Formats: sequence, C-alpha cells, structure tokens
Amino acid sequence: MLIDSNAYIGHWPFLQLKYNNFPALSERMEEFGTDISLVSSLNGIFYKNTQFANEELYGEIRSKRAYQDRFIPFAVINPIYNGWQGDFETSITKLGMKGIRLHPIYHGYELDNPACIELVKMTRDRGLPIALSLRMVDTRPSSWLDVEKEWSLASVMPIIRAVPDAKFMILNLANSVVLDEKDTSLLRKSNVIMDTSGRNVLDLGGLLKTYGTEKFCFGTHSPVLDYCTGLLRIESLRNDEADENTKDMLRAGNLRRFLGM
Amino acid sequence: MGGTVASAAGILIGSGLLGFRRKEEMEGASIVIKKVDLMAEVKKYRKIDSHAHFGLAGATNLSNLNYADRLGIDRLVISKPMAPGSKGLPEEFRACNDAIISAVKQYPDRFFGQLTLNPTYRTESFEEIKRCVDHGFTGMKLYNHVKINSPLFYPIIEKFIDLKMIILMHSPIGKARIKYNPREPLNISIPEDFVDIAKRYPEAMFQFAHTAGGIDWEDACKALQHSPNVYVDLSGSNNIANMVEFALRYIGEDRLLFGCDSSFYQGVGHLISAKMTEAQRKKIFFENYNNILRKIGKHVD
Repeated sequence: MLIDSNAYIGHWPFLQLKYNNFPALSERMEEFGTDISLVSSLNGIFYKNTQFANEELYGEIRSKRAYQDRFIPFAVINPIYNGWQGDFETSITKLGMKGIRLHPIYHGYELDNPACIELVKMTRDRGLPIALSLRMVDTRPSSWLDVEKEWSLASVMPIIRAVPDAKFMILNLANSVVLDEKDTSLLRKSNVIMDTSGRNVLDLGGLLKTYGTEKFCFGTHSPVLDYCTGLLRIESLRNDEADENTKDMLRAGNLRRFLGM
Repeated sequence: MGGTVASAAGILIGSGLLGFRRKEEMEGASIVIKKVDLMAEVKKYRKIDSHAHFGLAGATNLSNLNYADRLGIDRLVISKPMAPGSKGLPEEFRACNDAIISAVKQYPDRFFGQLTLNPTYRTESFEEIKRCVDHGFTGMKLYNHVKINSPLFYPIIEKFIDLKMIILMHSPIGKARIKYNPREPLNISIPEDFVDIAKRYPEAMFQFAHTAGGIDWEDACKALQHSPNVYVDLSGSNNIANMVEFALRYIGEDRLLFGCDSSFYQGVGHLISAKMTEAQRKKIFFENYNNILRKIGKHVD
C-alpha cells in the first residue's frame, strides 16, 4: 500500500498548478500507485476565512463516492481569526476532517502564540494530528507578493516543546534538518512523523538512523512539487539502509500507525 | 511517467477505511490500485548528468557515484567552480581543474571533465584550456566572476567554437521581487546576457545553468526561447511541478538537458514525473547531451 501524507487541491495565486483537483490528483495517484492521499486546501492559506476552504474540500470529497475512499481531508484552521474554535469543531465533527493544517507563516502568528497552543491542545485531546510544512514554495523564485520566510526543522520545535504529547506531521523538509542533542532526543520521543518530499531529505538512510525508521513516511507536496521525487527517495534506498519491511513502513505502515488507521 | 510501469499486486481499497461513509454507500466502490515499480522506470533510461560538481557542499567522487549508481546515472559532467566572492586568480582556477583532472583520471568511464577559468587572465586561461583539453576535458563551467557577454570572454568563446565544446555558465537566484537576490554579485550572468552572447556567437554552444536552482524559471525560459544555441539544464533543488513541461513548451525537446547540480533525487524525479513522450524523455536524459559530445567524438556508445 502507498499513502501520500502531503497533498493539496486548490490554487496558488502566483503560479499555474496542474493536478490540483480531485480528478487530476486521482490520475497522478494511479500513475504512481498511490492508494490514499491526505489532502488539504491550498485556498485555506489565502482565504481570510479558512472555513470556506474546508467546506469546499468537504464538498469536493462528497461529490464522488470514490473520493471518499481515496482522500483523507485535513482542515486548515487559523487560530488568530475569530470563530476558529467553532470552525475546528465543525470540521472535526461534521466535515469529517481527520487532522488540521496550520500555516503560521502565511496567517501571521508564531507557533508559541497562546491561541496556537490552545488549538494544538484541542487537537491533541481529539487524538488528531497537527500538520506543519517548513515551506510551501521555494521563496527564491516566487512572487514579490509572496512571503519571504521559510522554516528549518528547528523552527517547529517550540510547539513540540509546548505540547509534547500531541501528534505532529512535519512536512516538506526543505531546509536544515539538524537539531541539537536535546531537540533530537525530544523529537525521537515525540509522536512525530515527517514526509519525504522536502529537498533537505538528501540522505534518507541517515535520517532514519538519526530519528528512527518510524518517524518518516511518503509525501509528495503535490501539486506544488513534482509527484515522483518524494517516492524516489524511498524506492532508491539500498538494502543496507532500509529492508523491504522498512520500505513498506515508509510507503504506508508508519502513517497508518500514526493515524490509527 | 512513461505509463507502462504497472505490475502485479493490485491493492483493494474501499473498505470504509476512512470512516466517511454509511454502509449502504460503500457498495461497488472498491478501486484497484496497481503497484508501480518506480525504480524499473527510473533505470530504464540512460542518463548523462550535464551539471555535476566535485567539492561543492562536500561532494566527493564517491558521494557523486553513490547517488549516480542509486539512480541509474551513467555519466556525470563534473567541474569545480571557484569559490563565490574569490578573486579568481590563476592559481585558484588551476587548483580547481587539478581536482577534476584527478577525478576523471580515477573514473574515466563515469566522469566527463569541465574546466574553469577567469578570462581576466587571458594568457593563463588559454594555457589552462590547452592543459585541460590535453587531459580529455569536454567543456567549460563558469561561475560569476565575469559576465558571459563581457568582451573579456570573446576570445575564449571563439576558442571553444574551434574546439566544438559547450560552455556552461552559472545563473542567478531570485527575481521573486522583480530584482535578483541581493546576494548575487554584479557580474552574475542573467538570461538576457545569454541571449546577447548567443546572438553574437551563433556557432557557439552555451548551457544555461539550473532552471531549478532558484531562479524565476518561467521568466528565464521565456527569455531564452529564441536562442537556438543555448541549451538549458533542468538541474537544481527546486523541483516545482510543471517546470519541465513549461521548459518543453518554450525551449523545446532538443535543447533541454537533464542535470542535478547535486540535487540528484529532484533531477531525476521531476523528469520522471513530467508529462512527455518516451522519446522526449530519452532525449533529455541522455541523447541531447550525447549529441553535444558526439561533435568532439567523446559520445557514449
């Protein structure tokens, strides 16, 4: 089985995207053998009221029976925008969202914002994961209207320290993945999973040793990044880096365990 | 992807795994997803990495070959550029070229060597061209010490026309905010400089470096679309979706080159991911660069 932990539908304002709707994403999944994708709405990054994006995602998934088998939706919640507690509740209880996506760089808050910590604790209490992406696009060639900030792995550690018993997905490891000894130890102990889409997954074999084989899973960051590279990092691992059982865990097993599927 | 990579072992889903649906909604909803052998697809293409380095970001001969073997890359065109911000003195470019001479000598069946130089030092540069060509080098890789369309380069380019060898020139990052990244030096070669020099020397072969290296790739491809003697390599870390298809539209299948610039997974991955014909993928992965090497009789059989 193959599960993509990091996919989107929706639009990016500065770039024409393809495969950014369910029919097109389904086609890509079939080409590469992906059974299921965790998906959230890119529109949720740009709508001031993110709940409209969550409702759109829900509507799209409900539009075709097959989509309900193949897509696991995550809600985009902005904890500094009024009404977010209700949006969270509705998303979880009525829209079938199985986790939340935070976009602090785009929504204008820091991870140690008390409202963010409150949202993470609420999500933890429901047993659901919180997904964070180190960046959405490479800021170098993006638009003059886009944000200039990107994160490293160390940037997300404050929220893990603040709510160490929550479940975190850290996606698109585009920048440094080096942590100091204390944070390395914390990350290893925490319920964290990271995807393989980011450019700094240069040596997946080494990362498996550093953080643990259970800490990684397949992710594409599609349709922003190409569909193949995140999978290539897993499939090209040598036997002395990952045996077939470990590769199966990276393809789907680790994520299934993480999500309680 | 090529489209014929499906193998056995389909997996049935549709068991209500995701918890959305009522029981009565689930009838007949199962989908068979065919397992794909990605590495078989990757390894069926011969590959020449048109943009590889020794000594950058810790790259060694063995680390380059480790990635190459993993991803089925037959040959790498390697160079060692001078350090950013250096004076580009002759002793510096000679030392860079020494490292490549040694690499090619050690792995003659895997590496093609490219020399570097600084045209500010004309005599020493010509001596270096002769020394490196005598060692079997196949081209030149330049960094940001002098613009590609500077008159200082004219005699060097004329020499490379005679040699029938390609000139790979670095390109900048940025243009996200109208202008290039502030860390770029004044002498960085921008796409318009390539257009200018390619027009001045239509017999020369230029290689525009790394569309995935952080430049505004759409802007660059549109600038270079009418420069038939500028090849464009797709190397770099920014494997943004659709870059390859966009480059195909504006540059065309005969002028695009596979390359990694040390981002090996992205270099291979975005070419496998891109929608194109089998023939186009073969050209970009291998044939286009091999045809460049064919001009000097150094092509791969």
